[in-house]
Amino acid sequence: MSEGIHQASRTVGKESKPAASERPGAAAAPRALRCSAKGIQKSFGATTILRGVDLQIPEGSFAVLVGPSGCGKSTLLRLVAGLEMADAGTITLAGKDVTKLPPRDRDIAMVFQSYALYPHLTVRENLAFGLELRKTPKNEIAERIKEASAMLGLDKLLDRLPKQMSGGQRQRVAMGRAIVRRPNLFLFDEPLSNLDAALRAEVRVDIRRLHDRLGATTLYVTHDQVEAMTLADTLWVLNGGLVEQKGPPLEIYERPKTRFVATFLGSPQMNMLDGILAKESGRFYAEGGGLRALVDEDRFGSALEDGRAVSIGVRPHDLGLAKDGVPPAGELKVELVEMLGSEAFAHGWLRQSAPSIIARLDADDARALSPGRAVPLAVAPSRVHLFDPASGRSLAE
Amino acid sequence: MRKLAFAVLAALAVLLVLLPGCGEAPSGIVVWHAYRGGEQKALEEIASRWSRESGVKVTTLAVPYDAYAAKLEAAIPRGNGPDVFVSPHERLGSYRQNGLVAPVGDALPESETASYEPVALDAISADGERWAVPLATKCVALYMNEALLGEKAPATLEELLAAKSRLPAGVLPLAYEAQSPYFHAALLHAYGGKLFDGTTFAMVGPEAERAATRLRELATTGMIPPDASGDDVKRLFVSGKAASVISGPWLASDLGTRVPYVVVPLPAVEGAGKMKPYLTVDGAFLTPTGAKRTEARSFARELASLDAARTRAKVGAQVVASRAFWSERDAGTPLLRAFHDAAQDAVPMPSSVAMRATWVPAQQALLKVLRGDATPHDALEEAKARYDDIMRPPSPSPSPAPLVAVLGMALLALAIFAVRRVSAPGFRAELRASAPAYKYVLHAALTIFVLVVLPLVAGAATSFYAGTRDAFRFVGLENYVEILTARGKPLLSHGSFYFTLLVTVAWTIVNVTLHVAIGLVLGILLARPFLRLRAIYRVLLILPWAVPSYVTALAWKGMFHRQFGAINAILAAFGAEPVSWFSKFSTAFAANVATNVWLGFPFMMVVVMGALTSIPKDVLEAAEVDGATRWQSFKLVTLPLLRPTLLPAVVLGSVWTFNMFNVVFLVSGGEPDGTTDILVSEAYRWAFARNAQIGYAAAYSVIIFGLLALMSRVLGKIGGGSQEEAA
Repeated sequence: MSEGIHQASRTVGKESKPAASERPGAAAAPRALRCSAKGIQKSFGATTILRGVDLQIPEGSFAVLVGPSGCGKSTLLRLVAGLEMADAGTITLAGKDVTKLPPRDRDIAMVFQSYALYPHLTVRENLAFGLELRKTPKNEIAERIKEASAMLGLDKLLDRLPKQMSGGQRQRVAMGRAIVRRPNLFLFDEPLSNLDAALRAEVRVDIRRLHDRLGATTLYVTHDQVEAMTLADTLWVLNGGLVEQKGPPLEIYERPKTRFVATFLGSPQMNMLDGILAKESGRFYAEGGGLRALVDEDRFGSALEDGRAVSIGVRPHDLGLAKDGVPPAGELKVELVEMLGSEAFAHGWLRQSAPSIIARLDADDARALSPGRAVPLAVAPSRVHLFDPASGRSLAE
Repeated sequence: MRKLAFAVLAALAVLLVLLPGCGEAPSGIVVWHAYRGGEQKALEEIASRWSRESGVKVTTLAVPYDAYAAKLEAAIPRGNGPDVFVSPHERLGSYRQNGLVAPVGDALPESETASYEPVALDAISADGERWAVPLATKCVALYMNEALLGEKAPATLEELLAAKSRLPAGVLPLAYEAQSPYFHAALLHAYGGKLFDGTTFAMVGPEAERAATRLRELATTGMIPPDASGDDVKRLFVSGKAASVISGPWLASDLGTRVPYVVVPLPAVEGAGKMKPYLTVDGAFLTPTGAKRTEARSFARELASLDAARTRAKVGAQVVASRAFWSERDAGTPLLRAFHDAAQDAVPMPSSVAMRATWVPAQQALLKVLRGDATPHDALEEAKARYDDIMRPPSPSPSPAPLVAVLGMALLALAIFAVRRVSAPGFRAELRASAPAYKYVLHAALTIFVLVVLPLVAGAATSFYAGTRDAFRFVGLENYVEILTARGKPLLSHGSFYFTLLVTVAWTIVNVTLHVAIGLVLGILLARPFLRLRAIYRVLLILPWAVPSYVTALAWKGMFHRQFGAINAILAAFGAEPVSWFSKFSTAFAANVATNVWLGFPFMMVVVMGALTSIPKDVLEAAEVDGATRWQSFKLVTLPLLRPTLLPAVVLGSVWTFNMFNVVFLVSGGEPDGTTDILVSEAYRWAFARNAQIGYAAAYSVIIFGLLALMSRVLGKIGGGSQEEAA
């Protein structure tokens, strides 16, 4: 599948688009917005799905909406597509207010979770469908299908019906159908969830590669954090109908603004322990559930107060064996060890009756462990996250 | 233990089935009749009285009138029938043909003939023998609304009609079922005409034409309603919209005291004779076994006795055929007396089997005359030609050689095929391997063979025979030749196979197109989730399907009634002239189509609704995102995806519509003039309305079967092909 993408060398994006290789982070000047939404609200009957969401997608950027089921991410996507109409708020596409326009007047393309190919049409007819509706000249349709199918490795499948193809092949046709349209905006609605794990990883890479080649502005919905982390230029974390946090994926991963974002991203989940701040010899320690970790004062600044109740968050990957005289932040009583080959996850607790936590260990270190043993754990101060227990907001400003 | 119990139960069940069959022959006599109410009571009273006096047990059995002849035909030859049965005399021909009756002998001795009405004796006599003991007579008479016309019997028809000027506006002086030959017979006889002369259709010639001309006059001058059913006549009389009606004794029991009336004999026609209605005589018939039994003969005789006549007149309100009874002072009620008087001039209905074939052509001719579609001369000549065509004897039996040769060839081909199949390598092994499976399908195969294959073969075999029961003989392929050559008439003449086929094809195409179109629209509307009260609409729209089709058909026929129908009433509300729906092909066809569309669209709607749920929602959304308008997405996505489901439904619907007997038969009944008949209803007419030409009807059926098999195959191929491509 990926060979198909390597073979194609031409750019299929709109002429006006910036060079595809440019990543938004590297761009010096802020780019024009291709799509934006302001104050979007949407309810279905008594159920409120979106409570005032803002969204900005710059030209050529890859935005990913992520969140748990029911957070409203798919609804937001469908609102942008025009398949649903917003109760309040405005949606702008390429500088035009499209809030009230039907999908056909928005010039967007969408890849559905179930692919949604036309079952009675061949691959070629599926690809041509949208172009024929737009009265694109015949030779241009043929040209575009040739390009897209070369790019996706569909050349040999053009005369097949959807039911004669595998899931991965159908997925590529669905993408091809979007590509040939050269739309203002590509929408992806959990496009990989029907594929098996191996194929999913492969197609994920292909999608990002395609995006880079075409410079296509993309809005992508997923509940899979790996997809979210790997694909996004800008990640939008939705929760309960609101944007919880937005930004480059790494920034969100490293500096989650709320306890929800912190626990939602990252696998296994971030360990959360209730505790207090303690000032000792001029330095702040977060103490709780058997953990006693030094805190990065630069990051939290004035929020640090002696005796303040906090939620302490540490990712399993940031908890390591305390070696070479590093003072341990706690001692893990091992209950269970999950060996993954290159690494291992040790489950256990730091103090009797404290919440269970997980620590990532190197495989070599984990080999010696067995349930019932206790090992000293260490954590770097910059990796300790602190949240207000009541509001769930990060103590960092 | 359980096996034993099962065996005992099975044996009991067998005994229960067999016991009634091996019971002793009854020592008394068995009497069958189709009477109800008072007439039944009178008969039973007489029977029990006679039984007490004679010591012979009499068992009376009331058989439903509709099934009467069929039951007699089935029971008597097998020895399960009655000894005596009561029946109208006009079936005598058919009874004799089927050997169901024997001369009554000493049940009606020569010495007693004088005590019967001569006209009644005449009716039950044939070939110098008496075949029943006359019991009662039935004929029509004139019911006059006393409030409108007074009680004095009009001497002439003209006198009666002259009352029109004195009647309130909108009131007809006379009403009767003018299109029915049974009622027209009175007028026909007045002019000296005849419906049947003992051998052939006789309603032709100057007398019949004068009667028909007069009939047309009555209708055009607004003296009578042009096309009224028995119910209409009753309604007109009860509502005071008709000052007088011609009807039989049965009307009196329906009238009660709702309208003041008097019954008088039919008047004379100026310049012609008296109006003479047909007379039916109820007689006590003796079956061949019954005629041999003294008890049966003496019971038949007793039934006609003066004592019994009194009971029948009093309890059963019968116009008894006993002269002795009427010679008594104040015999019977005034109503019975009136009908007795009316019977004096009546003409006994011919009892020949051939008479039955006159009704339909005669009625078609009368309808044409009443509507002015043809001159009396042409209409009557056409009726005569139709009668002759129906009654044409089949040509002499051809040699069965060609048919035998064809069948032999077919059998040979089958045998060769079987041998080749058996001798194919691996066949035995295959057979052995699948042997256990045969056990599982055996009962189904047997059932199908008995219920489907055998009747089919029997039907096909019947199609090689012609003639009615008395002259049923092998004619080879002649029936097919006759049908396919349109019986020697122009290929597209009325009633020819090709004309009917054309009508059938048009009928099928129009219906199925409308079924699919309406079903599609409604199915798609109902599939919309935002439609309020969707569940209620769905139930309401499926309802026409849940009602038995004949009920719907009769309801629609009523709605299309010219005078009382809802549709004309609606048209009238918009100021339109009432439409006589069944007098023109186009409107009659439209009425049939409307009824059948009403019956048929729910099926297509349900199919569409089912098929729509199988279309994934996001495929339609993909089309929307791709830029399709609602219409484009319907045309380019929904419709092609519905096709694989719709095509089999269309095939089924076509077959059902092609054979939709109920609607055609009940709504238009082939009106006008048999033009709206489709192939099945035409086949039905040959079998049951045209001198029972079962073989000819069977040939029709075989042709219909062939056409449908072909159609299903062709449509199925189209369907199968597209399914391959789109499923």
